[in-house]
Amino acid sequence: MIMVRAIVRPEKIDEVLSALMYAGFPAVTKMDVFGRGKQRGMKIGEITYDELPKELIFTVVKDEDKDFVTETIVKAARTGSKGAFGDGKIFISPVEEAYTISSGQKQL
Amino acid sequence: MKEVLAIIRMNKMNETKRALADAGVSSLTARKVVGRGKGKVDYLLLQGAEEGYDEAIQQLGPGPKLIPKRMINMVVPDAKVDLVVKTIIKVNKTGSPGDGKIFVEPIMDAIRVRTGEAGDAAIVEEDAVLAK
Repeated sequence: MIMVRAIVRPEKIDEVLSALMYAGFPAVTKMDVFGRGKQRGMKIGEITYDELPKELIFTVVKDEDKDFVTETIVKAARTGSKGAFGDGKIFISPVEEAYTISSGQKQL
Repeated sequence: MKEVLAIIRMNKMNETKRALADAGVSSLTARKVVGRGKGKVDYLLLQGAEEGYDEAIQQLGPGPKLIPKRMINMVVPDAKVDLVVKTIIKVNKTGSPGDGKIFVEPIMDAIRVRTGEAGDAAIVEEDAVLAK
């Protein structure tokens, strides 16, 4: 199993969530985060904003679904045809075990 | 060492914290998250649909319904993973959907900021300090 963490624009979160739902991956967790990227935040006139609001979603999927899920998120979260700075990042990390509390069993 | 990431019901937080402390693993990070699982999660909506309200039935489509949960992050030595997982399951299990999930992930290293020590020494809990 792998965990897919994606940081996306707050205005794109609904699109990403419904894209995942239609793709057959309804189970996700979402939280509000703040951060900056390698552009060192955003500069508007004299003021630099270096803690930009983003949404972090994470979902745990089977190894073979990795490419499909990442493609779905990228397609839904990108702005414009080529994308723009600030569209976000996706991180993938291994998960060794997953338990469902309601059944107490070791399965996703 | 491993990271145990548990997503549990909001109202089980206090019981879980107490049970974990009793089991000897008290260090954790918690935060509020929203999420959804495999199934339909809006029980008010489901109830309304069962009672035959048209509005509720229309909203039953595939739209995202996110419900609030608590997320607990704990980094524990390999030997304590089973204990933590069993404790969380024991406290949080009600048997109905929505009880949550537990994920166990590998962690490469941990460093205690106060002393700079790394590895397992950084996450061992000092009972002597707690006693004072």
